[in-house]
Amino acid sequence: MTSAMDGARQRKLHRLGIFCGFAAALWLAGAEAPTKLVTVAVSPLIISFMMVAGAFISRWSLPALIRSTADTFADVKHVPHLVIWGVMAGCLWAIGNTLTIFAVRDIGLSLAFPLWNSNSLIGILWGTLLFKELHRAAWLRKIGVIGGGAIIFVGAILLSAASTTQAGHGNPLRGITAALGAGLMLGSMYIPYRKAYITGMNPLTFLTFFTFGEIVTVTALGVASLGGVGAFWRELVADRAILFWPMLGGFMWVVGDLFQNYAAKYVGISRGIPLSNTNQLWGLLWAILVFHELRGLSANIYAEVIGGSILMALGAVAIAFSFTSESEYGSWKEAAQRETKLYGINPEYVATRMEGRDYDSKVTRRTWVDWLLIAAAVTIFAVLGGMARIPHMEIQMGWLLALSLAMIAALVAAGLALWRVTKFT
Amino acid sequence: MSDRPFWWRAVLVDVQFWVPFTVLFLGFVILRFVQ
Repeated sequence: MTSAMDGARQRKLHRLGIFCGFAAALWLAGAEAPTKLVTVAVSPLIISFMMVAGAFISRWSLPALIRSTADTFADVKHVPHLVIWGVMAGCLWAIGNTLTIFAVRDIGLSLAFPLWNSNSLIGILWGTLLFKELHRAAWLRKIGVIGGGAIIFVGAILLSAASTTQAGHGNPLRGITAALGAGLMLGSMYIPYRKAYITGMNPLTFLTFFTFGEIVTVTALGVASLGGVGAFWRELVADRAILFWPMLGGFMWVVGDLFQNYAAKYVGISRGIPLSNTNQLWGLLWAILVFHELRGLSANIYAEVIGGSILMALGAVAIAFSFTSESEYGSWKEAAQRETKLYGINPEYVATRMEGRDYDSKVTRRTWVDWLLIAAAVTIFAVLGGMARIPHMEIQMGWLLALSLAMIAALVAAGLALWRVTKFT
Repeated sequence: MSDRPFWWRAVLVDVQFWVPFTVLFLGFVILRFVQ
């Protein structure tokens, strides 16, 4: 490392990362809501495929809009090995997401979330073991992060206890296995994330390659499970009236995912992931207020669900206030140096990008390729949106509007903050 | 090590590679069970 980051900059990046973590939570929770509109008679693999298709389109068009495609390719030239890691992370996400959909179907949205949440504990484990996160941190901060993560998990157990009494949707054991499996997949997906960000890669670049892994895996899973390409296509055509909803979910997931990746970059996975996983609280709000999911259950179950949610919120607060000290940041740098040596990366690139600054001085401009990508994405969404049908189910429009406005406010605030502090690096 | 191509270092030298790879394999097994 050739430049030492000053304390003020480090604290600014910490606050930015924490804010991104909360914004991610809001959007990741919202992303699951459109999939609730297709719970009737559609294969979960079709839902997963369309979510990923939405994510694929968004992951190519959003970076084009924010920093241009040329910038993405200029960035990856510094760290070409991360293409492999990006693709692998995409495969992990695709399986995790498919398992989440199975879990939501079997045990419900507000109850599948907590089990899925075990991914944050796995994230803390990998962050500490593999990337020297929390090393040389003061005891109070270690307790803040690990304790916060543990409290979030206890909250998750409370919520899952409620699931055994709400077995109406499907097979609870299968649902719990699917949710825990999703937690394992998504928790380990953070290894490639941190690997990329400890070297200073731009999250927009990482996600562009990540999306290949996910679309290929999900398509393969869908085609194999539904009995070939012909059968898969026929299913897509038959379900065309609902294809827009999971695709919209995929777009919203990408927005949340981008914020989660910026959080992982600037505060590490042991802090960023538990924070963005407070999406359960928002998921619960969607379920209760918009979809009336828990209505008619006993007061006991409400107490478990609400108690679990409060614990999660407390855990998130503990993590948010556990700042990265100078000595812990030194450990991060050691992990970064290891990467620099192993892959022969320019140390100047790593140091500059870890500080959230631009390494290449020349500004890359958007070209016709970028505008073509953006126009194609908008067209695909518009065409499928035109075919979409709103299913007959009880949706509270007032609450839907309120939660959507909260999401847009978080998007604008976090987007502006990212632009001002890091120019989206 | 630097005379090796980047993919060589990523796949064969870096032990971290095998952690997510193993989990990925496990993921396919779980998926098989839940379907």
